Amino acid sequence: MSPELDLMESRIGLLASETLGRLAHSSEPILFDDGAPDGVIKAPTSVRVGIDLVTVTDIAGSIDRFGAKYLERLFTPHELGTCRTAGTDGQPVWSTESLAARFAAKEAVVKVLRPDGPRPDWKSIEIHRSEAGWCEVRLFGRAQVLAGEAGITELAVSLTHEGQMAAAVVVALCTTGRPAGPVDQNQGKV
Amino acid sequence: MTMDETIRLVLSEHGRLQVDPATLEDATDLFAVGMTSHASVNVMLALEDAFDIEFPETMLKKSTFESIAAIRTSVQQMTEA
Repeated sequence: MSPELDLMESRIGLLASETLGRLAHSSEPILFDDGAPDGVIKAPTSVRVGIDLVTVTDIAGSIDRFGAKYLERLFTPHELGTCRTAGTDGQPVWSTESLAARFAAKEAVVKVLRPDGPRPDWKSIEIHRSEAGWCEVRLFGRAQVLAGEAGITELAVSLTHEGQMAAAVVVALCTTGRPAGPVDQNQGKV
Repeated sequence: MTMDETIRLVLSEHGRLQVDPATLEDATDLFAVGMTSHASVNVMLALEDAFDIEFPETMLKKSTFESIAAIRTSVQQMTEA
């Protein structure tokens, strides 16, 4: 195994434990609609984990080949906004490492959603970067529906990149019931 | 160029396969011969350019891109619609 992959493997282990730790220390109550009176709180009945690894040069190559069509098909305006800087000539300079990590995160989310049929569109999964630097998962459309069907009530994501590799780990807390009430996308919940 | 030839050319340029697409059987599982999920995105975008189509969300599933036969069926559905 190359030193780069060795390092990435240890990074992924750290990512997984960091992501689980964030969930364990969440202060947010988790509410479920299982027919009981509003506000019934249950512990999650299962945990799902998804992981994905992407080569940064693959993302750079796709941008070179397909340009805006590629970027706008896969990434939301927010994601594009957090992964670019202005170059000296005024043209955007893309952080291909950050885009690669976000693509890996989207694929990791699909792994926890486990679609039995069409997968959700990439832009229905947004990796939202908070001002403090944390990233959260926001779901829309079919991704949101799949999460509801799986009883996913909380998602946590952690991203990393090193050299030419980028990776993401996603952990989902699930119950057998559907999440109660409307989705609070501002909190990054499902 | 026939539809099959175009599909194999797209796979050659974007599929990141471990074998020459020209030698593949129609039913060969492309993911089993090295196509990654990200490579399948490139294949999708290149097919869209080649055939002037756009894959809808309902066709965004692994089975759509899992073989040359599956890709041909999907492209035919969209070009004949």
